[in-house]
Amino acid sequence: MFAAIVAGFVALLVVAAILVAVYAVLRSRKTENVSVKRDVRSIQSVGVSSSLPDSHRVPAGGVARGGTPAQPVANPGDNLKSRFTAVGVVAGLIFGTLATKLFSMQVLAGESFKKESEDNQYTTVYTPAPRGYILDADGNVIVKNRTSLTVLAEPDVANDHDVVARLSTVLGVPTGIVRKRIADATSGAQSQRVVASDASMRNVAFIAEHADAFPGITVQTRTVRDYPHGALAAHAVGYTGSVTSDDIASVAEGRDLELGDSVGRSGIEQMYDNLLAGDHGERKVMADAQGNVVEVVSETQPVKGSDVHTTLKSHVQYVADKALADMICPDGGAIGSGKGTGGAVVVMDVTDGSIVALSSYPTFTPTTFVGGITQDELDLLQSSAAFSPLLNRAIQGTYPAASTYKTFTGLAALENGMATATETWDCSGSWDGFGSGDVQKCWKKQGHGTLDFRGGIVNSCDTVYYDIGYKFWDAAANKGKSVTLLQDFLKRYRLDQTTGIDLNGETSGRIPTPEWKQEYFRDTPEDAQWKGGDYTNMCIGQGYVLVTPMEIAVAYGAIASGNIVKPHLLKEVRNAGGDVALTYQPQVLDTPDVSMADLAVVRNALRGVTTDNEEIAKLFNDQGIDPDTVACKTGTAEYTDMEDTAWFACYAPYDDPKYVLACVVEHGGGGSSVAAPIGAQVMAAALSSTNASDGEVGDIAGSSGKSEAGAGKGTSSGRSD
Amino acid sequence: MAQLPQIDSLRRPNAAASAASKPRRFPWLHLPLAIVITLLVGYGLIIVYSAVRADGDYQYSRQLGGVAVGLVFMILVWRFDYRRLSDYTTLFLIINVVLIMSPHIPGLGTDAGMGARSWIKLGMQIQPGEFAKITVILMDAAVMARYGGNLDDPREYVKALGIMMVPFLCIMTQPDLGTGLVYLCIAAFALVMGGANTKYLLITLGLFVAAVVAVFAIDEVIKSSTGEYKLLKQYQRNRLLVFMDQSGTATTDEGYNLQQAKVAIGSGGLFGKGLFQGTQHSLGLLPEAPTDFIFCVLAEELGFLGALVLLGLYIALVLISFRIARSSGDLFGMVIVMCVVGMWLFQILENIGMDCGLMPITGIPLPFMSYGSSFMVVNFVMLGMIGSVWSHNATLKQH
Repeated sequence: MFAAIVAGFVALLVVAAILVAVYAVLRSRKTENVSVKRDVRSIQSVGVSSSLPDSHRVPAGGVARGGTPAQPVANPGDNLKSRFTAVGVVAGLIFGTLATKLFSMQVLAGESFKKESEDNQYTTVYTPAPRGYILDADGNVIVKNRTSLTVLAEPDVANDHDVVARLSTVLGVPTGIVRKRIADATSGAQSQRVVASDASMRNVAFIAEHADAFPGITVQTRTVRDYPHGALAAHAVGYTGSVTSDDIASVAEGRDLELGDSVGRSGIEQMYDNLLAGDHGERKVMADAQGNVVEVVSETQPVKGSDVHTTLKSHVQYVADKALADMICPDGGAIGSGKGTGGAVVVMDVTDGSIVALSSYPTFTPTTFVGGITQDELDLLQSSAAFSPLLNRAIQGTYPAASTYKTFTGLAALENGMATATETWDCSGSWDGFGSGDVQKCWKKQGHGTLDFRGGIVNSCDTVYYDIGYKFWDAAANKGKSVTLLQDFLKRYRLDQTTGIDLNGETSGRIPTPEWKQEYFRDTPEDAQWKGGDYTNMCIGQGYVLVTPMEIAVAYGAIASGNIVKPHLLKEVRNAGGDVALTYQPQVLDTPDVSMADLAVVRNALRGVTTDNEEIAKLFNDQGIDPDTVACKTGTAEYTDMEDTAWFACYAPYDDPKYVLACVVEHGGGGSSVAAPIGAQVMAAALSSTNASDGEVGDIAGSSGKSEAGAGKGTSSGRSD
Repeated sequence: MAQLPQIDSLRRPNAAASAASKPRRFPWLHLPLAIVITLLVGYGLIIVYSAVRADGDYQYSRQLGGVAVGLVFMILVWRFDYRRLSDYTTLFLIINVVLIMSPHIPGLGTDAGMGARSWIKLGMQIQPGEFAKITVILMDAAVMARYGGNLDDPREYVKALGIMMVPFLCIMTQPDLGTGLVYLCIAAFALVMGGANTKYLLITLGLFVAAVVAVFAIDEVIKSSTGEYKLLKQYQRNRLLVFMDQSGTATTDEGYNLQQAKVAIGSGGLFGKGLFQGTQHSLGLLPEAPTDFIFCVLAEELGFLGALVLLGLYIALVLISFRIARSSGDLFGMVIVMCVVGMWLFQILENIGMDCGLMPITGIPLPFMSYGSSFMVVNFVMLGMIGSVWSHNATLKQH
């Protein structure tokens, strides 16, 4: 401020100096001018007498004042002198005002204007950083990057028929499709629209050379996601999308988003978006009003995002993806051509919660999202007609647990004294323990005969579990036990909680309770009553029971190891330099308080399912695995008008459990015939992968979105578990 | 010829004494004026060079040519005895009407794509309204000279006022409000300095204000019946709105221009960014930088000091012209000089004022600074007129 005042003073001095100089020159001529001055003075002082020489100098012609010769010379000098003064004052005011205004703008407010001027000049252009790779546990690449020449159009180009026609000709895309792509606003109303991804160098060169004929068209070299194995682990890795203005508005702290970036939309891409994203390159440039870069002021190169190493094993994942696809859509056909309408496989390392494979079908090719997905494609991927390929059934699909639930209801019975290992049951094929006449049937119509607890699980006898359900009902109704004794036990295995896997959108299963039923049927109170049949249905995993494949995997893991671990896909994060920046620390969430003896009974029974059922023993034998080393349980969930949903859960090796697996095939049929073959195949791959890290990894195709009429419809083809 | 009353006898001895003591080698050369003009034109050429440097739409050589032609015209006019023109009121009136209306002649006139029909094509595009400023000044001065510095008769006043309004009405047919305002300003200075009755002047001012209010009012009425403004064009309204609401965000072109002009001036600070270092115009942020916004270029590159130097030069020019006017001893000459001074003052105020938001935006160039060869020539002719007034009265004195 002080400097400004001094400077202003200096400026005034400069002006004064100019004026003095002018005055000095004027003075040097004073000798002539003095007489002129006198003139003026004389005009004022002499008055009337001055009119005499004046009047006879007037030429004859040009006088309009002839009529009034006396007035104008009364004292015109005085009159005009005051007007000179007035004009002088006006001039002084003008210059004074301008100087004051300029002083206030340039000296007092100069700094803020300087800032504005700099903002005017400099633009920061962000270069998107390549995202980090996604790899499997052994370092095999699942998702990487490649460069792509992308032809982009401003939204209003859609209305320019000439440009659309030219683009169509050059790119070899029909005009209708070009216009549709430009009109597609999925990436944001103001954003540039992708006309063609992966354009050829030749076409791009042509557009660049004829820029005048392509107004509003730009070509960008983009770094895009590349999926060497197609749809492999699509639901686990997820997909990316172009950033929208909504994303920028709601950006999380620490994440730097700019338009043109890719952002993770699902799966690992979304979960670890911050790590994968990397740092933008920044080019601070001086640009002119048209946006042309005049000068690059500073430039920092983009830093590639960190690589996310997952716990997945490519080969196991491949086997799981392929087994599911082959079961549901053999030969890549439509849904309905195989068995079921969808399915999921989860393989987890029971020791630390590492997810070795996470598969869901129908699946999608994440490549579809590269360079922007069209609304039509997106609609198809979300449509129920295509059985929602984007749905990650492993963590979002909820199904009746069916007989896989018996492991836990059986254990609950043992723990609560409702059953013992040596107790026997007689199965006649139907059961009416309540004496209501409303007979409940075992899946084996002719009955299992006499069974012990192990036999109940091995044969998956419903009668045994109806009786267990009855005992829980009886305990609550007549022995003063808690109405939710069974449910409280099941909750220890977290069958109604999300597992906490590092993926977004996980849903939780349901353990029905009287309270829940009351709330659920609050509009129809006659149905809201908690009944004995609710216990019996729950014990066989039917009724209102719902679970996700991930919950089943974690819960079976807890049977195998005794611990409930938190499932996770992240193994470690390596920065762009290849150094490990973050390693996942396994978490044991809980160790359910159950007696080791009861646990041993259940484990033994589960092994019996493998060894004592010929069909299942064969499946494992065929994979070169001794059935004696595998504990498993099948399940078949019944629906009213739909084909059954098949379940299979297993863990191995029996003595030192390493992997647990859960598999579901929606409306695929019986557990042992539809789900178990997939499970055995994938478990075999998992067990062999412990020794050899490399197995075959092939391409997985996204589902076609086609389905046959009546897929998954029909009635139960007959339960056997 | 109308003249201020002079008494030769009082002056002679001094004149004789000075002539004897210090003979002048170039009696027609007015040294202070020459110095100021040289500095001013030189300053202008430097700034215009900076402004057109980065812009292919302008040719610096044309500006140099304008100065050269202007100098020739100035000397011719300087040597010419302006007093011979005092009787040709009617002739000037005709010339004015023809000049100003010429762009309406089919085949000759053009709007040069700018909306107003202000240009004619004679090998190159020229704005006759610009050249008419010269004849308007001569006409107005000639009108006033007939009254000998004392215009008290109401009928004569209305007559004089009527004649002076003709060029304004003609230029409004193009329409070119900026130049029209310059004509009005010249007329005002002619009336004031020509000795029109103060009462009439105040009445005229009152009527003028009322007329402006009436234009806006009638425009509102037109809008309420036809749905759109007819008298004032939208860009003129925008300019006024931008001027009224300076803090407002620059959503219109006019607002953008004003904002960028202010940024250019303000960011110059005290010492400026340095000659040729201005960024606002070189990056194309400042439209019309060499013409309407030349002052912004100067203020940005040379700062407050550079702006003060320019103002100082203008003050010197005005002061010298004042002196010449007061010492001319000839009413016709004095009014001519004061009209030129008035015109310059108005253009300086309007041009610099609009750049810093003190005045609404109009396309009025800055004397001796703005790019434009016709404008440069016209200003030199004005200088020549001042010189003619000075030298021909000085010549008188020496006899």
